[in-house]
Amino acid sequence: MLSCKKATELMEKQSLVGLSVKERIRLRLHTSMCDGCTAYQKQSLLIDKLLRHNLTQQSVEIVPEVENGELKTRILSKLPKE
Amino acid sequence: MDVRDNSATSSETLESWVRLYTNSMYTWALYKTSNKESAEDLVQDTFLTAYQQLEKFRGDSNPKTWLLAILNNKIAEHYRKKYRNSVQTDDMEGTTSGRNIFITMFDEDDRWKKKEKPFEWNADENQLLDDKEFNIVLSSCLGKLPEHWQSAVHLKFIEQKNGERICQELNITPTNFWQILHRAKLQLRKCLEINWFKL
Repeated sequence: MLSCKKATELMEKQSLVGLSVKERIRLRLHTSMCDGCTAYQKQSLLIDKLLRHNLTQQSVEIVPEVENGELKTRILSKLPKE
Repeated sequence: MDVRDNSATSSETLESWVRLYTNSMYTWALYKTSNKESAEDLVQDTFLTAYQQLEKFRGDSNPKTWLLAILNNKIAEHYRKKYRNSVQTDDMEGTTSGRNIFITMFDEDDRWKKKEKPFEWNADENQLLDDKEFNIVLSSCLGKLPEHWQSAVHLKFIEQKNGERICQELNITPTNFWQILHRAKLQLRKCLEINWFKL
């Protein structure tokens, strides 16, 4: 029987590279008997979705624009001139 | 804006892009790295790369989208470097944070401690995705993780690659990587619970 620590580790493995059939069965067996890990699994998947959205959304618009005129000037001065 | 149509030189094209997009690129880089100097360097690199690769830009696509794609690659590279550097300074098994999170959450038989056992959150996923305040809490919880855990989390999600590829590029075994992600997840979950779900 898997421990809760091992079961939650397998969930992480699952989301990164997938599990073998044996591992999947062991994990399912564990969560079927463990409320804590069942709740954790749901939360873990939720956190992954929220993180993916938070870290990859292309909508620059969600963050208020920060002015950086100095940077603009610096980059312009570093661009090669033709 | 078509590069070829208006017969502008590469320098002129780049100059106009720098004027138009520096602020939004910088904002994005700052949001992704939480570090002023890194963000500035990444944006500058992005424009220099864009200059060198200008012939690869197709006039029918949006310059901002193209520049953002370059910037996102630079951000991933930034986290790969950061990950490699921080791994050298704190080896994973020895990190106190790693040991601490396990001791906090699990008993001596590696079962949930009574007071740490997860309970359902009643969260509405769709509502949370674009909830500004939630995303601020999420970013700040992420920012509290040890540096190389943070880099690992960023890499897992910003790289459009599978786990094995990410590990290859980092020169680590997948086992190593998911074990770090495991610790990071336990800590992040706890932080979110305290600062959001249990409020």
